[in-house]
Order: sequence, then structure tokens, then C-alpha cells
Amino acid sequence: MSLLKRIAGGDSAAVRECIDQYGGLVWSLARRLSRTPADAEDATQEIFLALWRNAGRFDEAKGSEKLFVAMLARRRLFDRLRKTRSEPPMDSSTEILESVEWPDPGARSEASIEAEQAKRALQQLRPEHRQVLELGLLHGLTQSEIAARLNMPLGTVKSFMRRGIARVREVMNIEQYAGRADV
Amino acid sequence: MSEPGSPTPPDAAMLDLLIKQLTEDLSPEEQRTLDGMDRAVMSACALDVERAAAAISLAATAGLREFPSQTLRSRIEQDASTLFAESQITALKSFELTPVRPRPRSRASAAGWYAAAACLLLAAFGWLRSSQLSAPPTANMPSTVPSIAPPPSPTPVPPKLAEERAALLALPQAVRLNLNATKDPAAAGVSADAVWDPVTQRGFLRIVGLKPNDPRIEQYQAWIFDASRDQRYPLSAGVFDVGGNSAEVIVPLHADLPVRVAKAFAVTVEAPGGVVVPALHHVVALGAVTTG
Repeated sequence: MSLLKRIAGGDSAAVRECIDQYGGLVWSLARRLSRTPADAEDATQEIFLALWRNAGRFDEAKGSEKLFVAMLARRRLFDRLRKTRSEPPMDSSTEILESVEWPDPGARSEASIEAEQAKRALQQLRPEHRQVLELGLLHGLTQSEIAARLNMPLGTVKSFMRRGIARVREVMNIEQYAGRADV
Repeated sequence: MSEPGSPTPPDAAMLDLLIKQLTEDLSPEEQRTLDGMDRAVMSACALDVERAAAAISLAATAGLREFPSQTLRSRIEQDASTLFAESQITALKSFELTPVRPRPRSRASAAGWYAAAACLLLAAFGWLRSSQLSAPPTANMPSTVPSIAPPPSPTPVPPKLAEERAALLALPQAVRLNLNATKDPAAAGVSADAVWDPVTQRGFLRIVGLKPNDPRIEQYQAWIFDASRDQRYPLSAGVFDVGGNSAEVIVPLHADLPVRVAKAFAVTVEAPGGVVVPALHHVVALGAVTTG
């Protein structure tokens, strides 16, 4: 039985396993999408609380448990970002946008199928498309901010994001339906 | 989710708006445009877009195992423990099982319930009478309703109880847990823990900050939820009082029935002498046993 199903069923032992399993994922997303380490800690705590409350909604037919955790985490993190965008920007010298190294998910046994699909799809994109996706989806920059940072027309940013997302979506859907056909 | 070959694929404009919506607010005009689009296509596409964005995040973070601090981990575990405790109270309250205000039920089941309750009360009353005959009444003795278990000694904490508790804590098979204070006014500032030995069926509740009670009006009662039994009927583990000078109270726990799998412990405020089934109107502390 999945960890989230166990938690939804009241198995408190599954809580620790869930933190072990997904703590690194949630923290690394929170760290990239939060303004300070303290914000990232608060966000991580908030995400896990939401996870405990919503564990019963996980449906393995719609994707892996890891994907569910990532979706929930991203929703929370971007909600927090929306609220803080009205605040004064941080000192640009402290704002570090680490470049994503895109680890090879296929080499890690714990990687989800969705991560492998995304990696394969992203490898087919041009570097500038990947860069736009990184800044928007992983570092939380708005499309206007990406355009300004990369000195690129806003329409081009939108187009690059659309192509990147569409490609990943296409690979995920094709393999999902191909998988069903194999059954 | 849109299948390949779907007759109405999302157009670029819809995708652009859904992607933007993932990470930032839409302008009022963009929102109106999105609202005017095909809802069925849009909702399926929105989920796909969100899944794709999450998959990209997974690909970027694959294998990252770093976790910030033990402090944060403890905070997260505490949240889960509190949430589990609150869920348990909510679930138990939904049954509305209280001998004070039983919910409407069929005549047959009500008769059965009252017969069972009467038997328990008579049995307990017999115990009370024999206790009263053999010993003079004390301030902690139930005044109106018989208790389910003998009330333990009140404050100050006798050294013997503290020693017995320490000895029990040292046993490898002992189950230990913290109880969380609820939002009940009587629970303000309360902290508690419990230890239970499944072999000897003995345990101790240690509780700090509980308000003194007037045993003529109400008493505190400890409960053990046994995972192998109907969760609507936790086992009474003792009725106790808190005196005016009690900083810390140690309560011996003992259930009249065998506790096969101790799942959770609770403290409630009940009528003098305790009750057979907790009313759960006033739960002051509750904690679930964690395993592993």
C-alpha cells in the first residue's frame, strides 16, 4: 500500500517514512521557490501539513505518489510566491538562481516514471527552451521577469514555455496510453 | 486528460494562459478570456499542464536527499501527530456516543444499550459499596456515579509512583508517547505523556498544567484506544483529580479489559466517578502511539 494511503488510513508510522521519502524533494523545491531559508522551512512545513490533510486524495491511477507530492508542493509554493510578489524585491546580489544540472533520473532507482519521461522530453528541446522552463517552473520567475532577464520578447518566452510543456505533456500522455494498451 | 487524437485539442492561446496561471496571476482580461473557453477541454488540459510542470520539477530534483534540519523534521512530525489526534476526536465525536445525551436510536438498540450500561453501573456500584464499607470515603471517592477504575492517588506525586513510572520506562517493550493538548479551555498549557507496558498491562500518565478540579462536579478520566476493539468504546484507564497545588500529576493506568494493541491515549473531563463511554465533550489531551 502506498505511503499516502497508509497515512490516510491513520498509520502514524508512515509519517516518518513519508518524510524520509519526500523530504529531499519538497525541501529542494521549497528552497528554489522561496526567498529565504526561513521561508523555505515554513513552506516545507506547510506542504507536509497539506500532504497529511490531502493524503486520501492520492489516486495512483492518475500518476505516481511522487508526482502527487510534487504537484501539491508546487501549488503551495506558487501560492506563497504570489503573495510575496507584492513585497519589495530582494537585494539582487543575494538572489542566486542556481542552474539546474538535470541529474539523470534513469540512473536512480527511486526516480519516478514521470521524471524519466520529462527528462527524455527535455533532452529534445533546445537549451534556450530549457532555460526558460527552468527560470519559470523551478525558480518562480514571472514571464515578464524571464523576458527581462534573458533580453527576450515576452511572446518568445511564452512560446518557449508552451513548446516545452507541450513536449513533456505529449511524452507523458503517449507513454501513459501506450502503457494501457500493453496491459 | 486528453487522449491522442482527441477531437478538440487545446489551442496555443489556452495553453499559454494555463501555463501562465501555473506560476502567476492572470490579468482580469486574461481571466475573462480563459473563462470563455471550452470548460471540458480546459479542465483536462489544466491537469495535464500541471502534471507536466511537476514532472519537470521531479526531473530537476531527482536524487536530491538533503533535508534541512532535525528541528524542522520534528515540527512536521508534531503537525502530523496533532492532526491525527484532532481527526480521531472528530471521528469519535461523529458517533455521539454519550450516556448523558444518547442520540435517537431504535427502541430495541436503545434497550440493549441501557441494559448493558445498567449492568456496568450495577457492577461498578457494587464495587463502590464494598469499597465504602471497607474504607472511609476520601475526597477523591466518586460521589454520585461509580467509577470504572479506582481513582489513583492525587497530588503531590508520591515518590513511589515516580519510581514505578521510571522503572516501566526502562522496559524495552514499553510503549511511550506524548499527548497533545486540545483546544478545550481546560487544556490550555497542558503537556502530557504516557507509558504503557503491554505485558503487565500497566502504565502511567504524567500530566502537567491541568487545572484543579472539584471532584463533586467533575473528574478527569484516562482512556486507552485498543486497535483490536471498536474505536467508539475506548477502555477506561482510571479516574483522577488534580489538586490546587499540583504542578505535575502521575496517574497509574489500568484497564479492566485486556489492551491488545494500544493505539491512542486520551484524557477527558467527565461526571464525578467517570463514565462507561466517554462523552468527548471535553477532551483535554490526546496522543496516538507511533510505531517504527
